[in-house]
Amino acid sequence: MSSSKRSTIIVEHLRKQQMWDSISKGKRLDGRDLDERRPVEIEFDIIKKANGSAKVKLGNTEVVAGVKVETGEPFEGLENKGALILSAEVLPTASPYSEPGPPDEETVELARVVDRGVRESQMIDLDKLVLIPGKTVYTIFVDCSIINTDGNLFDATSYAVVSALISSKLPIFEIQDGKVVDTGNRRDPPITTIPISITAVRIGDAVILDPTSEEEACMDARITITTNSDGHFTAMQKGSTGAFTIEQLKKAAETARIKGEEVRTKLKELSNSGQ
Amino acid sequence: MNQAQNQIKKLIDENGKRNDGRTADELREVKITVGVVKNADGSAFIEFGKNKIVAAVYGPREVHPKHMALPDRCVLRCRYHMSPFSTDTRKNPAPSRREVEISKVMRESLEPALILEDYPRAAIDVFVEILQADGGSRCAGITAASIALADAGINMRDVVSACAAGKIDNTIVLDIDDTEDKEGVADMPVAYMPHLEQVTLLQLDGILTPEQFNECLDKAIVGCNIVYEIQRQALMQKYFGNETELREEQ
Amino acid sequence: MQEVKRRYVVPGDKIVEGNFRPLMNVIKVGNSIIATRIGIAESGREGVKVIPLSGVYIPRVNDIVIGKITDHSSLSWEVDVNSCFSAHLPAQDVFGRDFSPARDDMGRQLATGDLIAARIIAFDRTRDPMLTIQDKDLGKIPRGELLKISPTRVPRLIGKRGSMIQTIEQATQTRILIGQNGIVVVMGRNLDGTKLAIRAIRMVEEEAHTANLTQRVKVLLNVPDTSQIENTSVAQTQNSQKGEDIHSTIEEVEEEIEEGERT
Repeated sequence: MSSSKRSTIIVEHLRKQQMWDSISKGKRLDGRDLDERRPVEIEFDIIKKANGSAKVKLGNTEVVAGVKVETGEPFEGLENKGALILSAEVLPTASPYSEPGPPDEETVELARVVDRGVRESQMIDLDKLVLIPGKTVYTIFVDCSIINTDGNLFDATSYAVVSALISSKLPIFEIQDGKVVDTGNRRDPPITTIPISITAVRIGDAVILDPTSEEEACMDARITITTNSDGHFTAMQKGSTGAFTIEQLKKAAETARIKGEEVRTKLKELSNSGQ
Repeated sequence: MNQAQNQIKKLIDENGKRNDGRTADELREVKITVGVVKNADGSAFIEFGKNKIVAAVYGPREVHPKHMALPDRCVLRCRYHMSPFSTDTRKNPAPSRREVEISKVMRESLEPALILEDYPRAAIDVFVEILQADGGSRCAGITAASIALADAGINMRDVVSACAAGKIDNTIVLDIDDTEDKEGVADMPVAYMPHLEQVTLLQLDGILTPEQFNECLDKAIVGCNIVYEIQRQALMQKYFGNETELREEQ
Repeated sequence: MQEVKRRYVVPGDKIVEGNFRPLMNVIKVGNSIIATRIGIAESGREGVKVIPLSGVYIPRVNDIVIGKITDHSSLSWEVDVNSCFSAHLPAQDVFGRDFSPARDDMGRQLATGDLIAARIIAFDRTRDPMLTIQDKDLGKIPRGELLKISPTRVPRLIGKRGSMIQTIEQATQTRILIGQNGIVVVMGRNLDGTKLAIRAIRMVEEEAHTANLTQRVKVLLNVPDTSQIENTSVAQTQNSQKGEDIHSTIEEVEEEIEEGERT
C-alpha cells in the first residue's frame, strides 16, 4: 500500500522564491540553463573483482554499479533467454534522510524504472546467453549502490548500469560432464543498443532537466524518458504528485531524444578511451 | 605431514615471500581520502590492498524513533554492509549474519574512543559500505570509520586504528589478504587506540599456541601503529593541506 | 600580547604536559592534555583549548540562530536550527500570555518554510532548545540569499568585534545576518554586491584556519588594507546582532575558564 507522506525536505520559502525568480529569468540557482544537464563523470572498471563496474557522478550524485555473472535457471516463460537481474540500494550514507533497511517504494520504483529501460530496449541480447535451453542460462546481476544523492537518481543509476554493462567482460562457461565450468576465457557482452534515460521535473510552468535534490524538493512532477540508439522510446515514468500538460510531455520526449544522444556519444567516447 | 604441506599451495615461500610478494611484516598499500561523501557530516574512502570501502558518519543528530534516545549519552549506531558486487561470488543485498556480527564488533571497537556523554539524547550513525572486499575488510572499515568520525567533529579520546595479523603455513604474518584468510591457519583482527595504548577489537579465527598468540598480537599492534600514521596524515592533508606549521595571523 | 602557543591537532594528539587547565575540546589524561577534535590547539596562561574546524552545531543558551519553521503543534512552532535537536518557539512568545489556539492563527504569523532569526533562551541535557524572537533584530526574515557554512567557521566570519563581517558588508553594500548555527542570510541592494559578499563568505569558510586571511578577503573585495580595523563608524545598533553573537562566544569561554570544564 502506498500512502501520502510529509515531504522529507522542507525548502525555505526564501530559497523557493529565489528559485522561482531565477527560473522565470531562464536560469537555475546553480547557474545552469533550464535544459542544461550537469556534466556526466564516468569511471569504468573500478571494482576489479566484478565482471564489470562503473562509478557515475552527476554533480554530487554518486552511484556505483557492479556486474556479476553466474549461471542458473532461466525465468519462467523465458526458457531460452539468459537472465538479467537488476537491483539498487540507496545506501544510508547517501543523505540524512536515507535509512538502512529493506528498499522503500521510491527505491523499488527506481530499480524497476532503470531495469525497464535496459530490458525493454533489449540492450543485452539474452538469446546469446543460454547454455542448456530450458535448464541452464547465464545470470547477469547488476547491483547499484547509491553513495551520495543530489537529485536525479534515475539518470545517474541508469548511466551507471549501462556503463558497467558495456564495459564488462563475461566469463565463457561450458558444460563438461553435465557440470558448468568456467573456461577461464572472457568475452564482450552481446550489446545491441545503448539505452539512455533523461529526467526532467516541472516547477511551476517550467520544465527543467537533471534536477538537484533541492529542485526535486520543489517539484510538482517528474518525468523520466529512456531512448535507445535509434532514438525510439523504450521506457517512461511520470513521478510525484503533480501533473504535466500534453505539450510539456511531447516537448520532454523530444528533448530526451536529443539530450539522450548527447549522453550516449559521451558514454561511448569515455568507454573507448578507457579500454 | 610434509606431503600434505607440499600438496597445499605454499602461502609463504622459502625466501619469505607471500603470494603477492610481501614479506611477513609488510602491510598492503593503504590510501585514505577524507570528506568524499558530500551529504555526510564526516566521511572517508579507504583502499587497503584491494579492499575499497566508504565510511560515512551522520551525527550527532536527532534519534528516530524518539523513545530510543538515551537520557545521559549518545546512541551509537553502526552498519557494516557489503555491496552485492564486492565479493567473488555475488552477495545477496540483505544483511547476512556475518554482517550483523561485524556491525556489532565494529560498534564496540569505536565506542570506547568516543565521548558519548557529550551528546545526550542524540544519535551518531556510522555507515561502512564495502565496495570491494579482499580480506581484512572489517579492519579497513573501522579505520575509515574512525577518520569519518574525526571528520565529523565528534569528540574522541583517541583515534581507532585497526589491522589484522595471522598465521599462514607456520609463520605469523601481518595483514592477511583474502587468499591467506581462506587458506591460512589463523586470522586475528585487532583494533587499537594508539595514544591510550588500548585494544578495542580482538577476534580470532583459527588455532594459535600461546607463544603464537603473543607474537600475533604484538605484530597486529605494530600494524595498527603503521595504519595510525596513515590516518593522521590523511586528516592533516584534508584540513591543513601542506601547512604543517601554524603561522600567526595579523 | 599573552604567550599563546598554537598548533594543528587531530584527536588523540598530546598538546601539553603539566599542570594546565583543560578548557574546551580537550581532556586530561594522566599528566597530559589531549585534543579531542581536529582543530587549532591553543595553550596559554588561562588554559588549553582546541578551536574546532569541523562539527555540527550544538545549541547553546543565548546563541542567535537562524532557523526554518518545519511544523507547528497547537502550542508552539517546530524549528529546524541545523542541529541535532529540533528547537521550538512557544506560541506565547509571539502572541503573548493570553494566547488562545482557538482565536489566534499560528499559521498566519509563521508558516512552514519561513526563516526566523531567534535567540536560544533555554537548552539543557534534558530538553530541546527553546527560542524567542522578541528581541531587537529578531523575527521573520522576509528576503535575502540563504547559505550554509560550517558552524565552526562562524567566529572567523564575524571576526574580532565584528571586523571581518563589517568589512564584507561595507565593501558589498549588503547586510549579513549570521546565525551561530552556520546559517547566513545576505541582503543586498544589487545582485553584484550580493554575489561578491557570498564569494567572500565562502573564502572565509574555506580558509578560516590560515594566516593572512583578512588581507586576501580585502583583495577579493577590492578594499585598501588599512592596518587597524577598529575605526568602524557603522552604528552600534546595526551590529547589535553580531555584537551579541561575539558577546556570547566570549562569555562562554569565560564561563569555561571559571568552571574549568570542557564543553
